[in-house]
Amino acid sequence: MRKWLFAFVVSVVVLSLFFSACAPKPTPEPEKVIRFAWTQEPDSLNPFYTDMWFSAILQQLYLCWAWEFDDQNVAFPNLVTEIPSMENGGLSEDGLTITLHLREDIEWSDGKPITSADFKFTYDMIMADGNAVFSQYPYDYLEAVETPDERTVVMKFTEPFAPWLANFWRGILPKHVLEPVFEAEGSMAQAEWNSAPTVSCGPYVFDDWESGSYLRFTKNENYWKGVANIDEVFMQFVPDDAAQTAALAAGDADLGTFPPLSDVPKLQEAGLTVFSVNGGYSEGWFFNLREMASPGVKDLVVRQAIAKSIDKEAIVEDLLLGLTEPAETYWDALKAQGYVSPDLVPWEFDPDGARQMLEEAGYVDSDGDGIREDADGNPLTVYHGTTIREIRQDIQAVTQQYLKDVGIDMQIQSWDSDIFFGSYSDAAPPAMGEVDIMQWSDSTYFPDPDTDYWLCSQIPNDENPWGYNYFTCDEKLDELLQKQLVEIDPNARAEIIREISTYVHDQVYWLGLYVDPDMWIVSNKVTNVKFSGVTPFYSIMEWDMSE
Amino acid sequence: MSRYIIRRILQAIPLLFIISILLFVLMMNTGDPLATMGGRKPTRPEDRARLERQLGLDKPIYMQYIFWLIGNDWSKIDMDGDGIAETPGTRKGVLRGDFGDSLVSRGKAVVDIIMDRLPNTLILMIPAEIIVIIASLLVGIYSALRQYTAIDHIVTGLSFIGYSMPIFFVALLSMYIFGVNFKQWGLPYLPTVGMFDPKVGKTVGQVILHMILPIFSMTVITAAGYSRFVRSQMLEVISEDYIRTARSKGLPKRTIISRHALKNAALPLVTIVGLDIPMLLAGAVVTESIFAWPGMGRLFIDHLSRSDTPVIMGILMMISVVVVFSQLVTDIIYAWLDPRIRYT
Repeated sequence: MRKWLFAFVVSVVVLSLFFSACAPKPTPEPEKVIRFAWTQEPDSLNPFYTDMWFSAILQQLYLCWAWEFDDQNVAFPNLVTEIPSMENGGLSEDGLTITLHLREDIEWSDGKPITSADFKFTYDMIMADGNAVFSQYPYDYLEAVETPDERTVVMKFTEPFAPWLANFWRGILPKHVLEPVFEAEGSMAQAEWNSAPTVSCGPYVFDDWESGSYLRFTKNENYWKGVANIDEVFMQFVPDDAAQTAALAAGDADLGTFPPLSDVPKLQEAGLTVFSVNGGYSEGWFFNLREMASPGVKDLVVRQAIAKSIDKEAIVEDLLLGLTEPAETYWDALKAQGYVSPDLVPWEFDPDGARQMLEEAGYVDSDGDGIREDADGNPLTVYHGTTIREIRQDIQAVTQQYLKDVGIDMQIQSWDSDIFFGSYSDAAPPAMGEVDIMQWSDSTYFPDPDTDYWLCSQIPNDENPWGYNYFTCDEKLDELLQKQLVEIDPNARAEIIREISTYVHDQVYWLGLYVDPDMWIVSNKVTNVKFSGVTPFYSIMEWDMSE
Repeated sequence: MSRYIIRRILQAIPLLFIISILLFVLMMNTGDPLATMGGRKPTRPEDRARLERQLGLDKPIYMQYIFWLIGNDWSKIDMDGDGIAETPGTRKGVLRGDFGDSLVSRGKAVVDIIMDRLPNTLILMIPAEIIVIIASLLVGIYSALRQYTAIDHIVTGLSFIGYSMPIFFVALLSMYIFGVNFKQWGLPYLPTVGMFDPKVGKTVGQVILHMILPIFSMTVITAAGYSRFVRSQMLEVISEDYIRTARSKGLPKRTIISRHALKNAALPLVTIVGLDIPMLLAGAVVTESIFAWPGMGRLFIDHLSRSDTPVIMGILMMISVVVVFSQLVTDIIYAWLDPRIRYT
């Protein structure tokens, strides 16, 4: 029995080693390998089955967009000959038709040409009922996609759609690979291509993916723009932040993302460079003014007093080690594009001013407990909720003290993100209005300034259980948001967005805390590195490795 | 004995059924898989409504459980949202061996996802468990036979230090010492993360090299605890009358320890190791996360954080089955070690 048991255990170990170590093909030693420490494993490599940032940003390795974005987040043509505009005739006067002209030399890694049929197929797959893609935005704004010839794609709308440039054609699917799967299965969900996109159109091609371990891309020798300098991109999945820091410091990884801020000085000392890239996100407070919200928070004076009570500079310096900057408006990431009015008056840290405002509005501490009461004697209490992310909980604790200093009682709570971001039908706390102030990091449909968060149609209720306007239905704001969506004159639209950003700021519907950039840590061995906030690896074929 | 085994197996069936209901209900209340779908923003309302319908998440919990158990190929789904169910279901259900597809890794079968990770967990956990058993027996027996000597005090002190250290601390400490600092000091060093160096390739040698730190981290704590257990058991056994009898009969010390004392002292250890067996399959969440080892523990956490019910149910049911059967195996080994135990 003992011998049998021993033999069994040894066999299991040996067989496991054999299957895990010997099954994959031996790897020839490449000349230049860049090793990414990737903290989250992608869930899919089909761009329409994933909303993960860690998956989506990989598309610039193996997929191609109609246009991509540079390190200033400005679009440049990729598959198209030029960005459509009214001047070049690509955008019709009424804004209802956009015509794309494809380059002649574009092709898939297997040598097949990329044609308008691939664009049409991509649209059809996104809209097909059988595919259950993660989002149909913005393709559900389209009336039709037409392909008059192999090199022309015509997008038809029923009404103008201003944010088209930022959101369309993010990844094109190879029709010749996926169409047979869709025809056989009624869905592309089962396609092998989703986890092994061996046919691709970026500077790299998929090589291997071992679940939980690594993802490997090798350079695409048939890439129409040329051949990448680095031979192989090897992504080691390292879920633990401290382990990522150790791997980077030890030289076991050449690139990492979102390091713990406290580790940044250590990484810089170890000879790594920190890139702070504007990805459109800012951390801030969303205010709930719906009927179930606390009375205090519905009063503009109280919200303005709150805005004056928070020392954002101190939060950035003390909690974020000065690695970012305070945020003022929800559109701060697009300030350079002129979407924030230069006349906007920022909220300065002024606790005395906040106290005076509250005093004048009738909020006084009548019972001497340090918390003000309203005219009816009700204590000025607000409820704050966020996710369990450590920095958010730290900010909760600090801001709770700031508000207490001006006589506002802030009760704090935090939840797991899957619960916090649940819907009204899940009875998620923000959706149900259980908190007055909600904190998370968010962006517009970046790099476009459009957002649908404050639309009245998005207020959640029994008839609309998935609505995500947990904040307020303000008819003026609703009208402005709808107006900018169909305004195709860039200058007129920018004017509307400036009005929106000023209004949301002054009404304190959203209170900015800090700009939340994408943080990249890169070994000094890697050269020519540039990142975009939209398509981070847009220039990866130009990156190089020095010894 | 055969009748006993059959009876235990039959008893396990309703038990597993009840476990599956409890786990399913708990899982359905751990979060919304469509809340963010791994992204940085809440899912757009129009997409959430569509996906709930297309993925069958709009059904009541009992219907989702029935579909999970017996499949949905006998019903139809409303994929286009016109209120009329028109598309036949394709799931066969757990009772027919279909654990469904992941909600996260869309289109991938749960069984395939688990089987991708299971070998990695086994090659890490089985050697770790073997080392733990051997080390705890050696240290425990050695310490017991030298009770209250200086070496016993040293071993006891080290055991308490080892046992009181959290695994993440040992893991990160060993990683920094042997992976980062040794390299900076120009000494031979160990790799920090992963299963192999991409520049070398996935060879047996590379996998073994990358196993050293995770196994060390796991074994140092567990062996410290188990060795205390073995020591106390050995002390109890060597003071028994039959050991004194064996000594008075002039039996060699080695024979007394190995044939008479150890076999009896090992009985409680068998119980503990029996309880460890399911954990061999479940993996070590913290160790796997820190050392980026692609095992079951990380799979569980990754999919739990996304409320991926099919994958989590697959893992939990696998562990439940192993728990039930490992207890049966433990009982059988008990009978083998102790002839006084009889099952009828």
